Amino acid sequence: MFDVIVRNGLVVDGSGSPGYLGDVAVKDGKIAAMGQNLGEAHRTVEAQGRVVAPGFIDPHTHFDVQLLWDGAARPALEHGITCVVPGNCSLSLAPLKIADRPRLIGMFQQIEEMPPEAFTQAFEWTWEDFAGYRDALEKDLSINVAPLVGHSVIRLWVMGPAAQERAATEAEIAAMQDLLRECLEAGAVGLSTSFVDVDENGRPVPSRFAQYEELDALCAVLGEFGRMLQCVPEFYATDITLARIDQLAELSLKHAIPTTFSPLFDTLAVPDNAERAIARVEEQFARGARVWPQMQTRPIDISFSLLRPSLFFARLPRWVRILRQPMTERLAALRDPATVEKMVADCGPDGGETMMGRLVARGGDACPAELVGKTLSQIARDRGQAPARALIDLSLEHGLDVAFLSASAGHQSTDRIGPMLAHPLVHIGASDGGAHLASFSTYGDTGYLFSEFVRKAGAMSLEQAVAKITAETADIWGLKDRGRLQPGLAADIVVFDADTIARGDERPAFDMPGDGMRYVRSARGIDTVLVNGQVAYTAGAYTDARAGVVCV
Amino acid sequence: MDEAVIVGAEIVAGHDGAAELLVRLRHPNGVEAPVVLDEATGLKLMAACGASHVDDLKGQSWRRIVEAS
Repeated sequence: MFDVIVRNGLVVDGSGSPGYLGDVAVKDGKIAAMGQNLGEAHRTVEAQGRVVAPGFIDPHTHFDVQLLWDGAARPALEHGITCVVPGNCSLSLAPLKIADRPRLIGMFQQIEEMPPEAFTQAFEWTWEDFAGYRDALEKDLSINVAPLVGHSVIRLWVMGPAAQERAATEAEIAAMQDLLRECLEAGAVGLSTSFVDVDENGRPVPSRFAQYEELDALCAVLGEFGRMLQCVPEFYATDITLARIDQLAELSLKHAIPTTFSPLFDTLAVPDNAERAIARVEEQFARGARVWPQMQTRPIDISFSLLRPSLFFARLPRWVRILRQPMTERLAALRDPATVEKMVADCGPDGGETMMGRLVARGGDACPAELVGKTLSQIARDRGQAPARALIDLSLEHGLDVAFLSASAGHQSTDRIGPMLAHPLVHIGASDGGAHLASFSTYGDTGYLFSEFVRKAGAMSLEQAVAKITAETADIWGLKDRGRLQPGLAADIVVFDADTIARGDERPAFDMPGDGMRYVRSARGIDTVLVNGQVAYTAGAYTDARAGVVCV
Repeated sequence: MDEAVIVGAEIVAGHDGAAELLVRLRHPNGVEAPVVLDEATGLKLMAACGASHVDDLKGQSWRRIVEAS
């Protein structure tokens, strides 16, 4: 008698092989059998021709904090994600001395935009070392976690405040090596570092003060375990990215480790950026190095309000001059009819319809709920105004705290990005799940992969897409028990409708500690998600299953 | 002395949802390469150059970027 059988599904096993109709049986958290007429089970999931695939793996997240009060990393799990990799970009919640907590919280708030209550009310901070963090994590997990340890916190532990001031001494580097070794033994799946991130005061995070010798020494420790080095390279600066790729390749070859950099964006402003980076990756793989570029599926949106000056208006000189002014003067200008008339005229004879009509009112701020999700064009029509005037008036009516979104402003060309995502050396990831909470939703990239690049563009087959975010990801990260439907492996399974899987519309949610707001997207087309053999999500609802583990 | 000058600038979408300024520099050897500035730095650069339109940055010295950073 099996524990669970998923019957009559299109089994897409993660290998990239064509799907086939069949059943998948689960016992004791593992896949026990695959085929037809497998026998009875305590619970049956009727797939009814829907796809039965390995659970998706998200290799770039910042769920470090959220996982302590939400073991499902909502809404990641409902999108079919069964394993997340937190601890990216040089930041993790361990190892960390009590005295250094405020400093790290500042860095996390800068990157994740998480309210301070998340760190003071939502969990009991009981640990300093990585093993203690792992223990705290494992108490209530619905999703699997493969945590990285952050270079910045390792530096902070060893060097204290000097971690953000100078290069390390030989003795300090040796101490960092010992500490990294301890973290890897406690379950970290690699080390993350950053060459670009800043703290809440705009200062470079500690990892940016490391010299090459330090990174090399830490990679020697990664080599003892064959573990991953993740880094954030300089965005859009192609020549520097190429240099980073070469640097990662040298570290990969010298220490026999996999490396990954994220994100790699495509942009029409630098059209050869991603192309040149991928070409250099090909050259380095040909030498035997492993340097995986992570590319996200979703386009980048720009958001802004009139509370702060934004480069969004950088082609409108009068707007720039006015929005640069201190708040009192800015409000006075925006309330002056003659000034506003000129501002509207600047936006063209259609009153900004072409320039601004497609902006979307976002919500989550002072924007009236009935306007959330509407285009400025719709709002302006309802108000009987030109779009530019509606933007100004609506903002004024709500203390300027109304955010607008310019959707798909970057990394938006499906025709260009599809072939890149399908490239065998491009690692699909970089979702940033759990970060940028107040700026945009970082959930649903896997649904978007299927809706945009499989169904709409045909850039890859269903089986290829599944393989990209399951078996290939597991192989890249060395997660031996994950990523495939295969007897003996962990029963992380997602059942979804290939015709409807997608990401839902972006919406504000007030579910962060302290009633903090974040943008989220619900899943579409996901029927059931099993984590280690237990049904964690089905028919649109989360269950009480807590079968997630820290997996290595 | 020859030095790099700004030959163009445009707005790009930053990974954190903010608009960023992509400034294209032409170096003395003729090579052109982009530099991406975050929103605050981009706005400071425009203010420092007295620019109220991205096109106004053309012809400015690369040193203005350092001053704004």
